[in-house]
Amino acid sequence: MNQDLADCLRTMDPRFINDMAIHTKEAQSFTEVIRLSTLRRRAMRAGLWPKPEEGEDLRVAVLGGCTLYPFTELLEHHLEASGTRCRLFVGDYDNYTAEILEESSPLRAFRPEVTILIPSARRCVSSGLLADPPQVHRACAQAQVENLLGLCGVLHAVTGSEVILANFLLPSRMDPGSYRTRTLGSPWSFRKQVNLELGLQAPAFVQICDVEQMGCRFGNLNAADDRTWFESKQAFTPDMTERVAREAAHQIRSLRQSTKKVLVMDLDNTLWGGVIGDDGLAGIELGDTSPRGEAFKAFQAYAKALTQRGILLAVCSKNDEAVAKEPFGHHPEMVLRLDDIVAFRANWNPKSENLVEIAAQLNLGLDSLVFVDDNPSEIDIVRQFVPEVEAILLGPDPSAFVAILEDSRLFEPRSLTREDSERVAQYRLANLGQQLLAKATDMDSYLSSLEMQACIQPFTPLDVPRIAQLINKSNQFNLTTRRRTEGEVAALVDDPARPAFSVRLADRFGDHGLIAVVITEHRGETLEVDTWLMSCRVLKRQVEDLVLNEIVRLARKRDCQRIIGRYVPSPKNQMVSTLFPDLGFAPASSSPEGCAKYVLEAGRFSDRKTAIKLEPPRRLHGSE
Amino acid sequence: MDPNSVIKEMQVLFDEIFLDQVVLTPELSAKQVPEWDSLMHINILVAVEEHFHIRFRVGEVEATRNVGEFAELVGRRILEGN
Repeated sequence: MNQDLADCLRTMDPRFINDMAIHTKEAQSFTEVIRLSTLRRRAMRAGLWPKPEEGEDLRVAVLGGCTLYPFTELLEHHLEASGTRCRLFVGDYDNYTAEILEESSPLRAFRPEVTILIPSARRCVSSGLLADPPQVHRACAQAQVENLLGLCGVLHAVTGSEVILANFLLPSRMDPGSYRTRTLGSPWSFRKQVNLELGLQAPAFVQICDVEQMGCRFGNLNAADDRTWFESKQAFTPDMTERVAREAAHQIRSLRQSTKKVLVMDLDNTLWGGVIGDDGLAGIELGDTSPRGEAFKAFQAYAKALTQRGILLAVCSKNDEAVAKEPFGHHPEMVLRLDDIVAFRANWNPKSENLVEIAAQLNLGLDSLVFVDDNPSEIDIVRQFVPEVEAILLGPDPSAFVAILEDSRLFEPRSLTREDSERVAQYRLANLGQQLLAKATDMDSYLSSLEMQACIQPFTPLDVPRIAQLINKSNQFNLTTRRRTEGEVAALVDDPARPAFSVRLADRFGDHGLIAVVITEHRGETLEVDTWLMSCRVLKRQVEDLVLNEIVRLARKRDCQRIIGRYVPSPKNQMVSTLFPDLGFAPASSSPEGCAKYVLEAGRFSDRKTAIKLEPPRRLHGSE
Repeated sequence: MDPNSVIKEMQVLFDEIFLDQVVLTPELSAKQVPEWDSLMHINILVAVEEHFHIRFRVGEVEATRNVGEFAELVGRRILEGN
């Protein structure tokens, strides 16, 4: 087993790193992952595994009401194997309350960036009697919820750490029979109540690690073992420990990673059964008249529901365009309509080329795309030529399609904002705007014809989720690409040393929502632009001019003579590499890696002209 | 299964778990191997149970004093079930 990895290690072959990632992703059991972890640690000792740069490693604390080894080894392995360098703090057995509350605890000195807290289910019992009325147990559950979330709150306030809080495994034994459902006092009902309230009451900096759901999926009988509790105070069986560690690692990665934005779908045998070009409108299988047709319809309904999370839908199919579009317009059982598709590519070119064009049309990176197809050779071509695109093989059975996507973990929202649900409509607007641009004779008349209105506002607590989302998703119009967690953004609200603002934009086609974010830092006579990013759907609308006017206004208000801007290159932000000089900043210095510093004298600046009308908050077209 | 064959098969498992090579002999005890602490114990336990398709009773592995006794216990569990 793992012979290829062992061979790589013996010959010091750097493919070890990539192979380790794949093996770890595919590993099925506790022992498999432990074996892989041993190999990784051997590679580390041999110098084959990359060591983190100073400060590059993520500080992760693990606390709990149980023994934390081997959970910690599994967690470290999953993080390292997937490329997240980490340093762990391992709490003592059942000592988390003291570790969090004591002022001079080693945990506080460690300053964790992320903390995983696994409380013991053995403490999660009601103090009431089985026969007590629900309100007695509900109060008891609420006290437990407040205790746990309170500890998370203290930890976050003191260290700034994000918290991943494991909820409670449900009991798997039969006692007290079906009576368990008649009372909130049974361990079964009580833990469900606590878990439910933990999730509903958790603040933004707490992510729930849903052990309850994982246990249901794996089987609670397989998830806990009294013997390992008595012998070494393990909360779970080894295989369940491995599942929780894998999940926690996934949650840690997704704290700072952007999610996928577009689902690109094949047509024939993906959205309907059969080939539209051969079988014709009446011949394709779709709808409730056959089981297969029903399955395809359900897959379409799932895709359509994804748009509510802000996922865009696109089509990439080998077909004649007119033929491919026919079902969308004329088949009575189609759930998806042409309106739902933001980019439609039906032609005979390689799909890899079409995917590149779709990404360009939507102003997104290739890594924002997920491509699904029933045909293995198409998936292969995409993986080979555009490996940035996540390509998923749906296979021959349409009843499995929804489950494949649901378990792909690619479209999981961390938090949802109203803007997400409206994003599809906004892309439709942007397309309308492009059509108008094609017609308007000159840029100025085009811009004034848009009747744009903007609202500039300091950060508010209500806007924090959307601002954090933009900070972590925007890649292209992003000058420094500094990511921040929701907690870090919340800390900027009303921070006098770091004036920050957001911009909302609306035009006569509708509301674009919150589309630009700026964070500055005030130091003596200078105001430095720490973060400046914008949603790409409002490019070339003079929003950047409007933003600069506001930055200068903030600088003058604080008697700052100079404004400093920086450009930090990333693989995706080429489009703003000359933004500062284009806006009149003078170059000050630059590094060989392409980082550049620019200066603007506030005194010599005169407001840039825009066609955008500034409005006080909440007076935009379309908002109440 | 006699203890010597058990030890031979366990050697492969130990090689996959321990960072440094540990040569198993009937007389070897955990105390003599720095890496073999109470934490590592659970990894060994799971690997051995999985490999031999057995389940130990609570506390009985801890009661064995060296690899030889551990191997005898494995043999007994293969024979008797748990």
